[in-house]
Amino acid sequence: MSELLVRSLEASTVFLLAALGELVNQRSGILNVGLEGLMLFGGTAAFLMAQSTGSYAAGLAGGIAVGSLLGWVHGLFSVRLRGDQVVSGMGLWILSFGLTTYLGSPRTGPLGLPRFPALLGLSPFVYFGILLVVAVWFVLSRTSLGLAIRSVGESPAAAAASGVNVAGIRYLCVVFGGALAGLAGAAYTLSYNPVWNYNFLMGWGFVSLALVFFSMWNPWVLLGGSVLFGAMWQLSLSPEYVLPGVLSRYVWRTVPFAVTIAILTVISTPWFRTRWGLAKPQALGVPYGD
Amino acid sequence: MTPELERRAPAPVLAARGITKSFPGVRALDRVDLEVAEGEVHAVLGQNGAGKTTLMNILFGLIHPDEGELYLRGRRVRFRSPHDALASGIGMVHQTRRLVPAHTVLENLVLGHPGGRGLLDLRGARREVEALCARYGVHVDLEARVWQLSEGEKQWVEILKALYAGVRILILDEPTSALTPPEVQVLLRALRALVDRDGVTVVLVTHKLPVVRAVARTVTVLRAGRVAARLVVSDTTDHELVQHMVGQEVTLPAVHTPDHPGPAVLQVEDLSAYNDKGLLSLRGVSFTVHEGEIVGVAGVTGNGQEELAQVLAGLRPAASGRVRLLGRDITHLPTLDRWRLGLGYVPAERAEVASVAALSLVENTGLNYHFDPEFCPRGLLDRDRLERLTRQILATFRVKAPHPYVRAQHLSGGNLQKLVLGRVLSRRPRLLVAHLPTQGLDVEAAAFVRAQLLEAKARGAAVLLISEDLDEIFAVSDRVGALYEGRFVALVPRSEADPETVGAWMAGSMGRPA
Amino acid sequence: MKIGVYRLSVERAEAPSPTRVALGALLAVALALLLASVLFWTPESGPWAAYRIAFGYAFVNPSGLGATVHRAVYLLLCTLAFLIPLRGGLWNIGLPGQVYAGALAAFAVPFWAGARELSSGTAGGVALVSMPLAAALAGAALGALVGLLRAKLAVNEILVTMMLNSVMFWLVSDFIKEGGAFMSATAEGESFTLPEVFRPPLPLGLPPSAFLGLAAAVVVDFVFSRAAAGYRVRTFGLNPHAARYAGIDPVRVSLWVFVLGGAFSGLAGYHYFAAVPGLYKIPTNYGYYGDLSFYGIICALIARGSALGAVPMALLFAGLSVGGRFAQGALRLPFGVDYAILGLLMTTFVLSHLVDRYRVVWQRAAPAPTSAPPRPEGAR
Repeated sequence: MSELLVRSLEASTVFLLAALGELVNQRSGILNVGLEGLMLFGGTAAFLMAQSTGSYAAGLAGGIAVGSLLGWVHGLFSVRLRGDQVVSGMGLWILSFGLTTYLGSPRTGPLGLPRFPALLGLSPFVYFGILLVVAVWFVLSRTSLGLAIRSVGESPAAAAASGVNVAGIRYLCVVFGGALAGLAGAAYTLSYNPVWNYNFLMGWGFVSLALVFFSMWNPWVLLGGSVLFGAMWQLSLSPEYVLPGVLSRYVWRTVPFAVTIAILTVISTPWFRTRWGLAKPQALGVPYGD
Repeated sequence: MTPELERRAPAPVLAARGITKSFPGVRALDRVDLEVAEGEVHAVLGQNGAGKTTLMNILFGLIHPDEGELYLRGRRVRFRSPHDALASGIGMVHQTRRLVPAHTVLENLVLGHPGGRGLLDLRGARREVEALCARYGVHVDLEARVWQLSEGEKQWVEILKALYAGVRILILDEPTSALTPPEVQVLLRALRALVDRDGVTVVLVTHKLPVVRAVARTVTVLRAGRVAARLVVSDTTDHELVQHMVGQEVTLPAVHTPDHPGPAVLQVEDLSAYNDKGLLSLRGVSFTVHEGEIVGVAGVTGNGQEELAQVLAGLRPAASGRVRLLGRDITHLPTLDRWRLGLGYVPAERAEVASVAALSLVENTGLNYHFDPEFCPRGLLDRDRLERLTRQILATFRVKAPHPYVRAQHLSGGNLQKLVLGRVLSRRPRLLVAHLPTQGLDVEAAAFVRAQLLEAKARGAAVLLISEDLDEIFAVSDRVGALYEGRFVALVPRSEADPETVGAWMAGSMGRPA
Repeated sequence: MKIGVYRLSVERAEAPSPTRVALGALLAVALALLLASVLFWTPESGPWAAYRIAFGYAFVNPSGLGATVHRAVYLLLCTLAFLIPLRGGLWNIGLPGQVYAGALAAFAVPFWAGARELSSGTAGGVALVSMPLAAALAGAALGALVGLLRAKLAVNEILVTMMLNSVMFWLVSDFIKEGGAFMSATAEGESFTLPEVFRPPLPLGLPPSAFLGLAAAVVVDFVFSRAAAGYRVRTFGLNPHAARYAGIDPVRVSLWVFVLGGAFSGLAGYHYFAAVPGLYKIPTNYGYYGDLSFYGIICALIARGSALGAVPMALLFAGLSVGGRFAQGALRLPFGVDYAILGLLMTTFVLSHLVDRYRVVWQRAAPAPTSAPPRPEGAR
């Protein structure tokens, strides 16, 4: 049972890291629907780096670097070239899905390193994730940079007229989002489930994206949502803990996805929107520029 | 310039020399010079489309001139962005608000403040801003979200923001356009205090002569992107200023109100509607528009006009009340059926709502005809017919377009508006709802649009004109009224009101000036 | 940038001409092929050898050509499934889920007819119509759910379709693995094989779904270019506000594009699992076929929403993926060449967008004004 709890928290952390980065870049007005792709690429890069160098640190660095790079590419397309952010995000996802399958296939299988070091029985990513929630909350609500980020996401024209460098802030956020997506992928392939398989994420990134919408762009709510989904994910893998023998294990695997659709539906109702819907950054997904 | 004159006029604190700026298809500014002396109010006067806003955006670093130089206290400066202008002590209050609606007033004031590095010090900022408010006699709730404020309050937030940032040169772009007459008086008083007491320099962009008279010492008149005159206000007459501004007079046909109104076309009873924030912003309005009549509705933006227009067009549900078109209850009828019944709607957002930027003009005409069996027999669009009709609209409405297959995004605002109006009127609507039909148009285009409204009326259409421009309302309406906080303050025959009275109505007051 | 008296600048091109668009599409494909040659490159044989093997198998070798054509039809149906909502401004990335739904529904027909037990029996024309119909309806139902959520509540369709992909993926497992209802009596992890009588005839070597797909491409192209219905979808896709202004019902548009899209995906599922020689079952690696449906996305995007333009694209990409797989085996290349090509195509597509959005402009720099501009009258 405690093993289940530990695994749940580690799963939650993967969701949390990816979603927190996406939350920051959405607060600046940039939507990256290719989150899953960034995680896939970051995770694969981390896996390959760690395996070939034998060093977890190199793996982490590789994952973060690749994630940041892809985040920057998304920024280039959506900030500098003012392209359609959905096209760019989808492009990054399919690109990553295709290329990681090709690049990672020869190394299909376990990582083959000693287990990722644990801290008080938990993966260090768990603690890092919580720290990051505090940091993101603090920066967004208590600093000038945070005010600038929020303003750029709400009304870039107003921010620009106040002398804020809109493009600079958006680049910063989208690269940060990419770095965290890469880190989330690395946390998956190095610590949570250190076995490479083609398309190993199977929807984690898209669930993380949905979590950002659920969170109403608040890092604390995001933390709660991630913990909930981590637990649900883990339970869907081992349903015998709750209802042994009821339904096949494959049906249980559908639960987190079905629940995601259900929550998305609820938060989209007019009833919910008029009460809590104002949190959505007004300029989300809208290109800005002359 | 003689030495004597030089002594009389203080050295310019801000100067622009030979500014030229072109946009695709138009030369917005043509070798424009501007000189503003320290501690004065300098007015930039001109009609819509004269290039005033473009010039100001250049002074503020928002856009870059193709040619020409800027000088600040005699030194050449180059502003890459508003950030540079702000750092040099130049602030700007735009015609459209540049505030973050979801943030509080205080957060908006702090955003981009030169002293703001690292941690936010909202408490310190609050103390300073409160002192500023006290100094200029302004009352704004600093914790309120900006979207909750009235247009006048929002404008004050922008002025406070510039002052809080330590601006010494303040550019105001049409600051009176969103204000009610009493609010205008407060603003002008505060501007005088700013200049006389604190030595701030103000550049005031406007197309209203009384405003120039009230506060400005010097004025630059722009006409069609060129400087028409540079004058000292006290040395000139209104007539002279108008001549520089307009060039030639544009006259409208006189409004002829028939003695007996025709049958009722639009009957609205106790109509209410919610705005996008879920607040009741249209609160029980009742009125009737008859055949061959123009009803002009004045009001400051945000008092329910947009909701009224959208409810009539079927784009927003009515919360309560009833709408009848030609006697038929259309309160819950879909938009399409209203078009078929004879509605014609010209929304305020001509580029965002009334047209599709990426489609050709011919296909844009389809917006008003895709449901018309004559134009799509057997469910197929008859492109030849659409093209013929489009050519006809381009000709009769004098739309400047290279050919009917050009994309709508390539038309200027005035041409696009003429096209939209032409499309809607080509359906011979029984009811025409026109929301801000001349906003942002140059004088000629605006006059043309107004003449078309009169023509539609002459053909027997019932016209509901929703506008912020009192001159426009009085130029074409048979009856005039004003919306304030979602209700009609009054709705009377034009002969029983004058612009001053309606101006007071726009501010929610029934009082008539003595 | 200034060179001599010329000024070089990159400008946004407002409206790309059709030729530029077509050029951009061709460029994207050519660039992807060029990049893919890196994947094909081995020390023993240069990239050309690999391309010769891949294209030779895909378009010349009779068995390879058959596989290419069947796959092309599958990709074409998936392309239409993505393209119709795309013209309405909506993203249907639920192709795999709808394909699985179509496959399950198609196999439900013989299942109810008791085909799992019998190896021969009487089916007749009814089954041949009801199987594709069931598949299309199942896909349409899944699409309708997405369309309704989008239309009524503005629920993000990308997330919903992606979630449904995962749901359907695991449901297929439930049906064909560990004693699931459709599990083969002889092999674990795959469905029962379709009895002969349930297999459609193959005139000209092609199943009826192939002709249906081609006809659909023609009809869809016609509807979008000529019909009022297509006009309404396009208008809604380009500017939903203007569409509402024009009285176009957003609920109906969103619902119908997804219903049609889902139906085409469902049909694609029927085509590949139940109508094409060589399979006639839902295999263990059904996920691979689901992944292939993503080629439909890139196909529609590169063809810029043109249903007819997508036909040659579908044929080319089908050949690339079939031939790529073959070359991979023949040259012992790493697994996943077809996936890599998918990724490369997506990248070059995004790049090609820039080709028609921006253009490089050479201009003679305007000469500097020789004299100071005259000071206006009345200046003091």
